Amino acid sequence: MAVFQAALLNEIEKLYRKKKVLVAILLSLAVIVIGQLVIVGVRSGFGLRGTGSVEFPMLVLSVVVNTILPLFTALVTIDSFSGEFSQNSMRITLTRPISRFKIYTAKITSIVLFILGALLLLLVFSMLAGFIFNANSASFDSLGRTVFSYLVSILPMTVLALGIVLLANIFRSGIAVFFISILIFLAFKVLGLLFSQYSSLFLTTQLDWYNLFLVNSFPLAKIARQFLIMLGSGIMLFSAGFYIFDKKEF
Amino acid sequence: MEKVIEIINLTKTYGNGRGIYDLNLDIYKGDIFGFLGPNGAGKTTAMKIMTGLIRPENGDVKILGHSVVDEYEKAMAKVGCLIEIAESYQFLSAFENLKQIARYYPDVDHKRIDEVLELTGMYKFKYEKTKKFSLGMKQRLGLAAAVLSRPKVVILDEPLNGLDVEGMIDIRKMILSLAEKEQTTFFISSHLIHDVELTCNRIGVIYNGRILNVENTDAILKNYATLENYFVSEVERNGRVSSSAS
Repeated sequence: MAVFQAALLNEIEKLYRKKKVLVAILLSLAVIVIGQLVIVGVRSGFGLRGTGSVEFPMLVLSVVVNTILPLFTALVTIDSFSGEFSQNSMRITLTRPISRFKIYTAKITSIVLFILGALLLLLVFSMLAGFIFNANSASFDSLGRTVFSYLVSILPMTVLALGIVLLANIFRSGIAVFFISILIFLAFKVLGLLFSQYSSLFLTTQLDWYNLFLVNSFPLAKIARQFLIMLGSGIMLFSAGFYIFDKKEF
Repeated sequence: MEKVIEIINLTKTYGNGRGIYDLNLDIYKGDIFGFLGPNGAGKTTAMKIMTGLIRPENGDVKILGHSVVDEYEKAMAKVGCLIEIAESYQFLSAFENLKQIARYYPDVDHKRIDEVLELTGMYKFKYEKTKKFSLGMKQRLGLAAAVLSRPKVVILDEPLNGLDVEGMIDIRKMILSLAEKEQTTFFISSHLIHDVELTCNRIGVIYNGRILNVENTDAILKNYATLENYFVSEVERNGRVSSSAS
């Protein structure tokens, strides 16, 4: 366990020392600022209400889970795997007294922590912006639902990251992984629209699964089904990625 | 004598037909073993298997009694290594790079990091990012990383790559003093045959993926004027080097 902690600490250190994370944070904040400016502009220019203080974070979430968050997850994941494969810096960790399984798990854990950090950051700042600019209609219940929606979004994002990890282990070039990830993402989006009856099988549709928790009737069966589909695909992607990582020659 | 590294029937072949075949080798405590062979003979392949970077098709390597295939963490616990080019995270300083490695070993503290930086002549570049390091500086940092955990076994693939004369002398002194004072066992491959002659006390020659001979340096130098002559004659017997080369 001690070596896993060491590996995780190392991964987190590498993550925050790279400029990509800083850019991710700044862009996330930019989304909030621009979003808020647009809403303020609409309200004062056209006299429309826009969103309330609690609705704004939900609006931000619906935008980021389909745009910048998958994008940054892809960048961080590709950097953690393909980046280290191509620079051979993976050898630094591989030749230490730590098994490949622990390295692989530590890398994925650090990516999940990155996603969690990004979601929490977005939550805090979008709520702040919401309260400052639209200080009305806040209730304790809706606040709880907002926080919950952000937290449950970690699950589909993790599955997405695991998919990219698998691709990063199959293809050598980081750029190839990035483009293939985007193509698959778009293809799943289109397929989800075309074959809506099967949409829950396409992982991109799951990105919006937090909406299920906002429905008053609370569709437990549907939530359980979606959760199990994500869990199943997550386990499969994790195992397939590790299988290739374990066999890789450096 | 205590066996530190046991290479048992090690086989690994590549698509191009190169690789290593049925390699057997024992390295004993306190040895400074020189692993010699022409380009493509299988030196790096053997060393990569020894450090777990690639898996063998057949056979095993045991380090201090633990198999690198089945008990990797235990086998590598007391091993330091440098394989091919010394790699580092370019966005981190020399100190931070070593700190990353130090986390895997509970006994290594900041004082030890300073110690190895001093030992390899890198202390003055402690806080500099490795991005702008020369090949020699990277190599010194790689050597510092290899000995950081006070390992009992050190595996070095071409450790003198890119080093200046002063660097070569420093590293040679470091190897000899660690072997003498701490009974560290070294397994070194190098093209610089003169340096191997000065540093190593046992020599193994690998050719076309097979071990040709293992001999003490002293015994070799009784029969041959230099290690180079011995190497050429060994390889020549297997039809690789023309007699004019000697």
